[in-house]
Amino acid sequence: MLATVLTLIGRRALLSFLILFIVSVLLFIVLRALPVDPAAMSLPPNATVAEIEAKRHEMGLDLSLPRQYLIWLSHAVSGDLGSSIQFRRGVLGLVASTLPATIELAVLAMLVASVLGLAGGLALFHVRGTAKEPALDLGTVVLLSLPEFLWALFFILVVGVALRWLPFTGRIDPDMRLPVTTGFLLIDSWIAGRPDIFRSAIEHLILPSLALGIAFSPAIMRVLRSSLLDVYQEDYIHLARLRGLGEKHILIRHALKNAILPTLSLMGVQFGFLFGGTLLVELIFSYPGLGNLMVDAVRNADLPIIQAVGLTYCIVVLSINTIVDSLYVILNPKLRLQ
Amino acid sequence: MDTLVARKLSVSAALAERPVNVIDNLDFSLAPGRILGIVGESGAGKSMIGRTIAQLLPSLFSVSQGELMFDGQDLVTMAPENRRELLGRDIAFVPQEPMSGLNPVLTIGRQIDEHLARLKVGSRRARFDRAIEMLEAVHLPRARELLSKYPHQLSGGMCQRVLIAMAFASRPKLLVADEPTTALDVTIQARIVQLIAEMQRQDGTSVVFITHDLRLAAQICDEILVLYAGRVAEYGPAREILARPSHPYTRCLQLANPVMGGVRRGLFTLPERMPGLAALSGLTGCAFASRCPVVQDDCRTVTPLPVEIGPAHRAACLHSSLTATIAAPELPVEAAPSARAPLLTVSNLGKTFRIGRGFFRHESVEAVKNVSFELADNEFVGIVGESGSGKSTVARMLCGLETTTSGTVVVDGRDVSSGDAASRRHLLAYAQMVFQDPQSALNPRRRVGSIVTQSMEATGTGGRAMRLARAQSLLSEIGLPPEAALRFPPQLSGGQRQRVNIARALCAEPRILVADEIVSGLDVSVQAQLLNLLLRLRRERGFAMLFISHDLSVVRYLCDKVLVMYRGEVVECGPTAEVFDNPRHAYTKALLAAVPPDDPSSAWSSPAESSDSDVAASNSLWTGTPESQT
Repeated sequence: MLATVLTLIGRRALLSFLILFIVSVLLFIVLRALPVDPAAMSLPPNATVAEIEAKRHEMGLDLSLPRQYLIWLSHAVSGDLGSSIQFRRGVLGLVASTLPATIELAVLAMLVASVLGLAGGLALFHVRGTAKEPALDLGTVVLLSLPEFLWALFFILVVGVALRWLPFTGRIDPDMRLPVTTGFLLIDSWIAGRPDIFRSAIEHLILPSLALGIAFSPAIMRVLRSSLLDVYQEDYIHLARLRGLGEKHILIRHALKNAILPTLSLMGVQFGFLFGGTLLVELIFSYPGLGNLMVDAVRNADLPIIQAVGLTYCIVVLSINTIVDSLYVILNPKLRLQ
Repeated sequence: MDTLVARKLSVSAALAERPVNVIDNLDFSLAPGRILGIVGESGAGKSMIGRTIAQLLPSLFSVSQGELMFDGQDLVTMAPENRRELLGRDIAFVPQEPMSGLNPVLTIGRQIDEHLARLKVGSRRARFDRAIEMLEAVHLPRARELLSKYPHQLSGGMCQRVLIAMAFASRPKLLVADEPTTALDVTIQARIVQLIAEMQRQDGTSVVFITHDLRLAAQICDEILVLYAGRVAEYGPAREILARPSHPYTRCLQLANPVMGGVRRGLFTLPERMPGLAALSGLTGCAFASRCPVVQDDCRTVTPLPVEIGPAHRAACLHSSLTATIAAPELPVEAAPSARAPLLTVSNLGKTFRIGRGFFRHESVEAVKNVSFELADNEFVGIVGESGSGKSTVARMLCGLETTTSGTVVVDGRDVSSGDAASRRHLLAYAQMVFQDPQSALNPRRRVGSIVTQSMEATGTGGRAMRLARAQSLLSEIGLPPEAALRFPPQLSGGQRQRVNIARALCAEPRILVADEIVSGLDVSVQAQLLNLLLRLRRERGFAMLFISHDLSVVRYLCDKVLVMYRGEVVECGPTAEVFDNPRHAYTKALLAAVPPDDPSSAWSSPAESSDSDVAASNSLWTGTPESQT
């Protein structure tokens, strides 16, 4: 089993390089096609045409597109993704300082979505054929049709503004300072022995991750319910009853293990979307993550940042897919090599 | 005290405006250590009996009257907790589909362990030792290794052995086996049936053996209950019932089954179908009256009650004396296959599958080796063999669905084995395939009329009106009303769907039909209808057919020549009568011996003596030949 998983990861890694290459080419072309001139933007507004031309030459913008790409690629391979036009800082550093915040948010949101999704799926399955089913069903449809930003606004208004239970801007209280080790506040606060910061970070994460998680949970609920319904049609469930096993035992030991497989592959796809969904939620909660960096970069036509953040999203989605597929191999014996 | 007694047992379904009895006034008793066969077509309510014993009835179904006593306690009125305590311990079940009866994500060991834990077998260690003993008792080799395998790594026969081992783990008083061998090969069927009989003798278990195969039931059962539309048609000692069937339905079932020995005779075709739930609700008189060949006027008004016609032999027929007058029809005279040059010549055909997903590692499996034969115009050639023998691969190669690795296929003088576009067109102008499972072969969202004329659509011939007219003429040829052209496949019965499947293949006027297991999984009455249909169509329009089947009696009835395949090779071939009456190859002999004999009093001898080939064959299945996954 371990061998299969390692083979899979190895093969995926090889494939990922190819995908990243293609994505980077596409991003490069699209960004160069935009009607913005990075040279003009990096000079004061009163610069002359000759100054701009000189800057263009200095930045290499007068070269052909393939040449430009090759230069970018050779830098990128050595770990230099260029520097931001607006911050005049290395792009890699900017991404590295914001990515952990987004990962924290996305993982917590996924946790919320999974717990709610699995619990809701079981509840939906439990009430099948009873009078409660239509009501619960309607509930999931309502959940399904509310996007994450509406949840975000709802939580800010009710929990943040009206009830004043939880904070709703930033990652921690503004007066707290913490040395950066990993960039993950939840880990760094433990390393530094600061439970107060840990608590504050968690409090700041609750509302954004709830907003994001709730929006992504109904699809999981519905898939789990329908795969449980499918599994209960199978002969081995019927036969387990005929062996005198209890219903609870059949659900936990026989049905869930099979029904979780389609649910898991959906969750993999969902996690990719959810990671993209952080962008809007970060914006609403002023959460200093990758999303806010991206929005800022787009607003200021900061092409190197857009390129780097785009690639980062791509890497994250590819990694998630690999992890989910590995889990799939672990849980589904039919996929293991003999 | 009898193990299982049903008294006036009725199960009703609250479907229509008034409840319908799907089991009606059932009476039987099963003594300890005896085997009761329950026989009937699908829809007769056979499986409902197993569900009633477990009281796991579908929703809207309930026991409306009578009692079902197990060991002196009424299963119907018993508290659910007490009944659940009996299930798996005192009452065990063996299912129809062994592969799907085991949970695919748990190892065999885990599933046996779970069952033993439910039976309160002490420690984990004790359960492990016990599991190995159990697997050895059902003759599974390398039991220790098997415990860590998953169900998909085992063959169907091995899965059924595991399930039988679990069923007998608690030395149950009653075993309910619901078509336990229907999904298995004929040689494995023989061994599984004998295994059940062996275990049953050791433990003194009573068995309810549910099957559609009267001949099989007669071999292993002490008593037989023939069920028709939920009613007892006939009930009595097994041999007595086969020797002197007293209900017309029993007689018709017997005559619809092709014989294995003696003179070939025509097959009796029961018309239409058993009345469904809707038809049963307003039924007066005998349920069989609509299909009975010796029906009398009073049959439609008077409901027959079971009457004693011999010692412990009852039949529910007003005119049981007429049963003996039902005879098999004359075998139609067939035109001799033309002696011209063969239509299809296959020489040294071979197919090697490459399997394995590694970068460099490939394993190859030779699914078909060196197969050669000829097919003349109007000739029916049968290919028999177990699953995994390569017979379906041959069929698929002949229709261009699979490329050939070696050898040539010559159709009417032209080699088509290259597989290029021109030779494919040539091939498809001659040969059409009929697939095994009509349910999945027919697109459920297309109307029958457009399915049947698919080949016209592909070649772009004919407008809407012309296609509909063609569909209707094809449908009437295969015995369906022209209105059927506007229906959808799910609205048809299994037998009707298979007719549509045949009509679709016939639309392009092929001179060769390739039919892959097209009657397996169908009731004998439907099977007889289809076999006679194929013979009639050959007389009327003339075509040759390659008929792939695991059922030897069907091949004997239908085919002029037969090829016996074993592990990808043809081990014996020749005229059907000659091969079946005088088999040369040991494998052919083993195949023939595995079929239950026509005469219940002659012993069903050999299969158990030869080595357990289902186990041996499945060792090769562990490496996964392509056919093992179908």
